[in-house]
Amino acid sequence: MIFSDLFFLYLFLPLCLICYYVTKNPRFRNAVLIVFSLIFYAFGEPKWILLLLFISVNDFFLAKGIAKYRGKTAGKVLLGAGLIFDIVLLLFFKFSGPILGFTDKLFGASTDASNFLLPVGLSFFLFKSISYLLDVTWEKVEPEKNYFRYLLYISLFTQVVAGPIVRYADVETELLDRSATSEDLNQGVNRIVAGLAKKVIIADNLLPAADDLLGEALPDTAVVGVWLGVLFYTLYVFYDFAGYSDMAIGISRLFGFHIKENFNYPFVCRTIAEFWQRWHISLGSFFRDYLLYVPIFGEPRKYAGLFLVWFSTGLWHGSHWNYIIWGLYFGVFILIETLIGKKKLKKVPTWIMHIYTKLVLILGFGIFRFEKLSDLGLFFKGLVGLNGNGFIDEFAKSAFIQNAVLLALGILFCFPIVPKLQEKCMENEKLRPVCGTLTIVLNAVLLIACSILLVNASSHPFLYANY
Amino acid sequence: MTRTAVYEKLNKVFRDVFDDDSITVNDATTANDIEDWDSLEHINLMTSVQKAFKVKLTMGEISGLKNVGELVDILEKRA
Repeated sequence: MIFSDLFFLYLFLPLCLICYYVTKNPRFRNAVLIVFSLIFYAFGEPKWILLLLFISVNDFFLAKGIAKYRGKTAGKVLLGAGLIFDIVLLLFFKFSGPILGFTDKLFGASTDASNFLLPVGLSFFLFKSISYLLDVTWEKVEPEKNYFRYLLYISLFTQVVAGPIVRYADVETELLDRSATSEDLNQGVNRIVAGLAKKVIIADNLLPAADDLLGEALPDTAVVGVWLGVLFYTLYVFYDFAGYSDMAIGISRLFGFHIKENFNYPFVCRTIAEFWQRWHISLGSFFRDYLLYVPIFGEPRKYAGLFLVWFSTGLWHGSHWNYIIWGLYFGVFILIETLIGKKKLKKVPTWIMHIYTKLVLILGFGIFRFEKLSDLGLFFKGLVGLNGNGFIDEFAKSAFIQNAVLLALGILFCFPIVPKLQEKCMENEKLRPVCGTLTIVLNAVLLIACSILLVNASSHPFLYANY
Repeated sequence: MTRTAVYEKLNKVFRDVFDDDSITVNDATTANDIEDWDSLEHINLMTSVQKAFKVKLTMGEISGLKNVGELVDILEKRA
C-alpha cells in the first residue's frame, strides 16, 4: 500500500484514526497501530511480514543480551551477530538478483529471480535495527522492555516503506505514550496535503516528461532535450521523495509522533556537502553516526571514512554500477570541497557556487537514473551533442512548452516560499485569520485536485520504496 | 586530571586542529560554534585529542558527543 492511493487516504487512514482515537489507553492505541501497520505492510508483501516480525524479535532479545553483557566479550559477540545478520540479509536481497542473472548467463540456466526481490522497505527497517543495536551497545538508550513497543517502532506504517530512518532514542518516550495537540493535527494535515500535492501534481507528471526525453528516444534527443529531461528527472526524484517524507511526517503527527525532518530545501545549497545535509537527512546522519567513525586500521580515518560512506551510500541505493559511481561521484566533490576549505569557498561569489552545485547535482541525478552503463554513456554524449542530434529540435521545444508550468512550479517550490509566507502572515495580526482560512481552502482544493488526478491515474509507487 | 587542566590542554588541541588561536571552548561549545568543525574534521579533532591526552575513545563516544562538556567529562576520568 502507498500513501498516494485513494484506498489509503479515504479508507485505511480514516479507519485507523477512528480505531486509534476510540480510546485513550496507550496500550490499546499501540495495539491499533501495530495491527494497522502489519495490514499496511501485508498489502504489498504478505510473505515478508514474517521477516519483519523475525527481525523485531531478533533485535528485541539481542538488545537485552547486549545490555546485560555490555563491555564484555559476550556483549560484543551478540552485537556482532546482530550486525552481521542485518548486513548479510540486506546484501542477500539487494544482490541476489544480479548474481543470479550472472550465474544464469554463465551456466545457461534460468532461475526464477522473483523469490529474491527486495522486500519493500527492508533497507529502511534494517537500518533502524542496526542503529538500535549500536545505540544500546553505546549506552545511548536502554533496551526496550516491552516487545510490542519495539515491534511498533520497527513496523509503524508511517515509516516502514521508505523511512525516514527514525532513531529509537528519538521516539522512545512517544512509544510509551503520546498525545496529538490541535496544532499537531493542523500541521499533520497540512504536511499530508503538501506531500500529496508534491507527489501527485508535480512528481507524477514530471516522470513521464523525463521518460519521453530520456527513455527510448534518448539516442535521438537533441542537446536541449537531454538537459531538460535530466532537469525534469532531478525535480521528479526530489518531489517524489520529499512528498513521501512530508506525508510520513504528517501522518505520524496525527498519531502524536514527532519525527525529524528528512529534507530541508536541499537545492538552496551553496556546496555539495551542504546539499547532503539537507537531502535525505536521516540516511546521511545514519552513515555519519554509524559508519564514518568506524576504525580503519585501528582508528577512524578522514578520507577513508569519507569514501566508505559514499561507496556505501551508492551501494545502498542499488546493485547496479551507476549507483556506486553516483555515490563516489558525490564523494569526490565533497573531498574537493574539503581540500579547498570552507573559508576559501565562502569567498567565492554566491552565483558561481549556485551554478557549480546545480550543475553537479543535475549531472549526478543523470548518473542515478541510468542503470545501464551504455545508456549512461549515451546520456553524457547527448549532453554535449555527441549523439549528432543538434542543439535543439521540435521535440525538445514541445517538451518545454508542454511542461513549462510544471517546471516553473517545480523550481519555485524548491525555495522556502511557503514557510516565508506563513511567517509573514503570522506576524501580521490582521492577516492571521485570513491566512488560516486560506490554508484550509488551499488544502481542500489541493486534496480534491489530487483525488481527481488519482482517480484517473494508474498507480505510481514512490521511487524510494524500491530501496 | 582536573577539569581546568583538561580545558587548558583541550583548547590548545582545538587551536591547532582548526588553525585558529582565538578559539576558547567551554562545556556548551558544539560543532555549530566553530565554522570548520564538521563531521569530517571531527575525525582529525578526535585523533588529536586521543594523542594529546593519551586516551582511546570508542566509536560510540566519538559519534555520540553532544558538546565539549561531554568530551571533557570523559577526559577528566581517563586522562
